[in-house]
Amino acid sequence: MSANPPIDATVAHPGGGRANARRAAPARWVDHGFAAVPTLWLALFFLAPLGFTVVYSFGNSLFGAVELGLTLKNYQTALSGFYLTTFLRTVQFAVTASALCLIVAFPVAYFIARKAGRFRTLALVLILVPYFSSFLVRVMSWQILLARGGVIETILNFLHLHDGPLDLLDTKTAVFIGMVYTYLPIAIVPLFVVLDRIPGPLLEASRDLGASRWQTFYAVTLPLARPGIATAVLLTAVPMLGEMVIPRLLGGSRGVLMGQAIQSQYMQSQNYALGSAMAVLVLIAVAILVAALARLTKGFATVPA
Amino acid sequence: MTARAASTNGQGGIRASDAGLALWFALAILFLFAPIAVSILYSFNAGVVGKQTAQFTGWTLDWYPAAWNDLALRRSVQTSLYVAFWAALIALAMGTSLGYALVRHPSARVRWWLSGLTYILLIVPEVVIGVSLLLFYAVTGVPLGAATLIAGITPAAIAVTALIVRARALTLDPRLEEAAADLGSTRSKTLWFIILPQLLPAILAGGLMSYAFCFDNLVVAAFLTTPTVNTLPVYLYGSLQYGPAPSVYAAATVVFLFTVTLLGLAALCFHLSRKPGRARPGGD
Amino acid sequence: MTRHLLLPQGSAKRTGFSRRSMLGLLGAAPAALAIQSAFPGSALAESAGGGALNVFSWPNYFSNDSLAEYARKSGVTPNITSYDSNETLFAKLNSPAGADFDLVIPSSSWIKQMADRGLLQEIDHSRLNLASLDQSLLNRDYDPGNKYSIPKDWGVLGVVYDPEAVGAEIKTWQDFLDAGAKPGVSGKVRLSDSGWETIGMSLWTHGKDWNKATEAEIRAAGEEIKAFAKHVKTFAGLDPNQLANGAIVLAQTNQGTARAAIALNPKLKFVVPGPMSELWVDNYAIPAKAPNLDQVYDFLAYQLEPEVQISETQYIGFPAALAGLRDKLPADTKNVDLIFGGKDLDFDKLTSFVVDPATIGVYLEVQTEIQAAAGG
Repeated sequence: MSANPPIDATVAHPGGGRANARRAAPARWVDHGFAAVPTLWLALFFLAPLGFTVVYSFGNSLFGAVELGLTLKNYQTALSGFYLTTFLRTVQFAVTASALCLIVAFPVAYFIARKAGRFRTLALVLILVPYFSSFLVRVMSWQILLARGGVIETILNFLHLHDGPLDLLDTKTAVFIGMVYTYLPIAIVPLFVVLDRIPGPLLEASRDLGASRWQTFYAVTLPLARPGIATAVLLTAVPMLGEMVIPRLLGGSRGVLMGQAIQSQYMQSQNYALGSAMAVLVLIAVAILVAALARLTKGFATVPA
Repeated sequence: MTARAASTNGQGGIRASDAGLALWFALAILFLFAPIAVSILYSFNAGVVGKQTAQFTGWTLDWYPAAWNDLALRRSVQTSLYVAFWAALIALAMGTSLGYALVRHPSARVRWWLSGLTYILLIVPEVVIGVSLLLFYAVTGVPLGAATLIAGITPAAIAVTALIVRARALTLDPRLEEAAADLGSTRSKTLWFIILPQLLPAILAGGLMSYAFCFDNLVVAAFLTTPTVNTLPVYLYGSLQYGPAPSVYAAATVVFLFTVTLLGLAALCFHLSRKPGRARPGGD
Repeated sequence: MTRHLLLPQGSAKRTGFSRRSMLGLLGAAPAALAIQSAFPGSALAESAGGGALNVFSWPNYFSNDSLAEYARKSGVTPNITSYDSNETLFAKLNSPAGADFDLVIPSSSWIKQMADRGLLQEIDHSRLNLASLDQSLLNRDYDPGNKYSIPKDWGVLGVVYDPEAVGAEIKTWQDFLDAGAKPGVSGKVRLSDSGWETIGMSLWTHGKDWNKATEAEIRAAGEEIKAFAKHVKTFAGLDPNQLANGAIVLAQTNQGTARAAIALNPKLKFVVPGPMSELWVDNYAIPAKAPNLDQVYDFLAYQLEPEVQISETQYIGFPAALAGLRDKLPADTKNVDLIFGGKDLDFDKLTSFVVDPATIGVYLEVQTEIQAAAGG
């Protein structure tokens, strides 16, 4: 609401205008229905409650309640030294973790979409199956894997890659492992969806014209995969900004991130007004990230003929 | 469906880069499954004084009946399955509709607003949604229950489904629809017989992701659970601080196997139902 | 706060493995769940009828045995839902979600806030017999006259450490901070994630009362802990395994976690450092709008019976409020003194924190800064 909705759907496709012009007029109610039903649902169960948050962010905090008002005090506090540092660190953290996730995910998605042949569906299912096991239990299992005397230590010692006790649990490395682990399937799916749709003949044509495999990848595959990359970044980086469980379970709750900071304003300080202001600031900041990504997707529309 | 098969063996022979990709994929699978294997293995771990231990201390089957006898745990599993099922169904319908409108709504302005809405769904921290919903229900006097929880956890799932469907719809050639219209197909027929089959993999993927999302939702659910409606993640998170008993792993194992069995059955049904359809002109 | 550590010693014998229950779990459960998924409402409606008892509690905080016994006696199976912090409990009671709860278990720190906001109702003492309870746990600062609360069990803030690795005896919080900074110990330290428990160490050392400290005093004390934060490995819930395997050698924690860790590694020691430390008491309390009052009092009366109190103590590993409990526990209870925080625990050197809206925000803010200062 307060954030600027980013534009990117305008992209649709260059032929859109022509298509609409030719389309029969009476069909339009279908389109309006498609747009209206989810919008109404979301207006009721999402936008209306969110409106409260925006209103609250200008209020005065009473312990566990808010007195409505029109003050910028909460925003001042939220932008003061400590929280600003926390916020910047969170952004840096999410961007790094998201990039790592993408690096791991891309070859996997590429393999499934283009190399797995008839095992493709099975491969995709294998990627998604872990997602149907409880997230918390999987992260708890990482504690067992990463603990001193745990499986990872045993394997590394066995392979002589490490010697003696290995304290991975409660480190930054463990948090990154947990982040990449948790969001990997989410990153793979949109990448797969776009890579899957790249016509094989296009790549063959590129090679017939003398491009090497890497040139083809760089000049044809990668640009065509852009919307998938943008979606993958969005779907991973944004939830990472608010992630609370992984830093706590695998990182020993050190180096507070924004999600934890907002949560504790609401839950511990019972300062709903400040928590709301911090949340609104996060919304605005993330909108900037989204706008940047939208630009990336927009580039997509100009590529295919 | 399309020309994928052609590129697989395009040049003939297996290259080093392909082998590298395959190895990378195998490692990713290992990475993804390792914690699940651990959670299954450790559901049989005797532990020490009723606690889970990093070292495997011995086999026991005690944790399965212990999980069954833990009423709160059992009830939370039931609630989670129920809530996730309905939330995913709603998200599937709403998300598909939204994802398609994002690409094909005739008005650029409407698409602009819908796109903004979709992203806002994703960028609002869950904790804010949770608190906002709690305030919202308090002010409007709606009593909390399973329905309010289901409604509360759908927005993010709708957005995920919409983005997956949108990514696929973006790659659809608009001329396909034009051609159908030129050939005299009505809009709804075109949607049903041409667009829907094209979008189906994305829709199914979206629905399944929604189910996983909703089943695992912790933060929003933590605010909206009531004495009679409490989900598994909320139960687990509550017990984390004090070191959960291995019975939690037993419960998770059963739920996981149950879900995977259902998925397998669904896949089988899907597969069987598609086979006769191959002959119809709906395909490619 | 990491505290309610559970020691379900009876878990194995409690539910002897039987073929039938295994079959039930693997076969019937998925089927039942599938049916419930198919028919909306059926899974969730069952407990809404009359004669219900909805308990909102810390996880796994009631002995399954005594609950089953109560269900047999009264015909009512308590429906227990759990929370992970007093803050969550407060937020729930303060919202429409709290409407159905009959019994909650807030800690001493939050009783006053909840009572002041009208979230709890006064307890009718004529319906319960408190005479059997330990008098030192009654009529305390946070709830004079026990108008709103009846003690369930209690714990202390202490230190568990590996004397070999630490190489010194810990007697005061200053010793704790000094030891944590040593090479070999630094980086293997655990602090509480509760602001008052970390900042309290410094406040007590300087002779301050944590319930009366001003904002400036809290911040000054916080600076000391912030300087110490670089030695800390984790603020998260303490896993006894980490203490047992040496990943952590010095930790702020309660006696229950300490007892579990010592069971794994007997060379560890637990101590409640001076000059002051924390006593927390978890209490039975009745929400203002509790719908099933008669049932609550019936259940409370049952919970206060000596046999139940003993069984609860064995199950959760924290002492129930029964007077003379120490001598009533079975002789073969392992490390029995530890349940009571050590042999010579001095109640005069313990203080209970009471949340004050004026300073709780400061405690939290400083704790957030401490955790951030620990790196990451």
